[in-house]
Amino acid sequence: MTDSTYTVVVAQDIADLVPVFMSNRKKELETLRTALTAQDFAQLRQLGHRMKGVGNSYGFSKVSDLGKSIEESAISEDRTALDASINDYADYLARVNVVYE
Amino acid sequence: MSDLTVSQQRIAAKSEFSVLVVDDDQDMAGYLAHMLRREGMEADTAADGNAALARVVASPPDLIILDVLMPGPSGFEVCRRLKADPSTALIPIVLITALDDSESRVRGIEAGADDFLSKPVNREELLARVNTLRKLHVTRRELEQRRLAAEIERKETIRKAFSRYISPSLAERIIQDLGARDGPFRANAQRIEVVALFADLRGFTQITEHTEVGDVVEMLNDYFAILTEAAYQQDGTIFNMAGDSLLIGFNVPLPQKDAAVRALQCAREMVVRFAPVGRQWEHRFGIATGVGIGICRGEAIIGNIGSPHYMSYTIIGNPVNTAARLMQMAAANEILVCGRFYESVREFVPEQDVRSRGNVALRGRSEPTPVFCIAGSRP
Repeated sequence: MTDSTYTVVVAQDIADLVPVFMSNRKKELETLRTALTAQDFAQLRQLGHRMKGVGNSYGFSKVSDLGKSIEESAISEDRTALDASINDYADYLARVNVVYE
Repeated sequence: MSDLTVSQQRIAAKSEFSVLVVDDDQDMAGYLAHMLRREGMEADTAADGNAALARVVASPPDLIILDVLMPGPSGFEVCRRLKADPSTALIPIVLITALDDSESRVRGIEAGADDFLSKPVNREELLARVNTLRKLHVTRRELEQRRLAAEIERKETIRKAFSRYISPSLAERIIQDLGARDGPFRANAQRIEVVALFADLRGFTQITEHTEVGDVVEMLNDYFAILTEAAYQQDGTIFNMAGDSLLIGFNVPLPQKDAAVRALQCAREMVVRFAPVGRQWEHRFGIATGVGIGICRGEAIIGNIGSPHYMSYTIIGNPVNTAARLMQMAAANEILVCGRFYESVREFVPEQDVRSRGNVALRGRSEPTPVFCIAGSRP
């Protein structure tokens, strides 16, 4: 699927940082999946907390929203909700399109 | 300090402002550092509390932006440690907490944090807070520079005021020890134990009667140069120079455990060093000269004495008066000392080098004073 459903407008002055940011999000997705398989809720909570903090700072509000859901679901150890959020995250990362201005 | 200098300092301070960003999230740390660099600041990053503490010790920044949740010591712990260390306590720390996390803010305040940033970090808020702290930093640096300049000026004033009394090495020691106080040159007089040494030139009055004024001044300068050098060599303080006599104090303004020995050594040096000059003068004018010296030890008053128009740092009291009387009694190249002074140097002077003059009734003293002549002083 290559449709760019999610368009994110990012300030031109941080354009240099965005490739590394996106690369780290993809690594993060794999870590989330591994943690869910291992039912490591403490790590899931920590990862969700981190996503929540960093997403909006770069202008990726969806990352922060998903991070908040993952953190809360990890606290309640809700595997179903975690699975759904992580799939949403994977879909988002696959379809996000960054525009600089 | 001129306005231009202040302006130049502001520019320098802006480019020199360094920030340490501490966050285990590489993207967050990178984002914050990037924003600060764009504002002309130096920004470095550390990934955990231990790395941050090591970095601060190695190269103290002007500001620290510190995440709370990190591997190793938390942001609170890092903040607490830095604020507890006097060498880092003044570095401002901004803690990054969640917007709605009032508990973390309270803990941050308790740990000594100077300000807070909320996650997600808003760039305008980041720059506003950092710039406020930077202005405070620049102001504090300027105030510190002005304080240092004032301190240097104050010390220089003291150095100029007192350099004619004391040797350059002693002056430097006093300036070093001065700190924020007025050190030994207190405004109020004090009573302390001193050794007073009076030296006077014998036979000089006769010479002046047969000598041109210009020559007299030149000869006196030669004589005082010799005596002053001997005094400075023993870190004595020159309090008075009048006619052809000189008053020197030991154990003042700084304590000298070996004050008496220094005074004796100074007296001997004066006699020995003047001897060749005295021989030259004798050959030239046919009149024998020499230094007569009186030394006494006791309690004296030290202070700036005089009127608002003329004030002098000096010593007054019994040991000074007695030393003056002993000097008047002393023949050329003779060192006369009071009993109390002799007791202080007895172990350093061979018995055969000392002659008692008995108890002498000195003018102005109600009790007779034991007087000794210390030999080994003749050239």
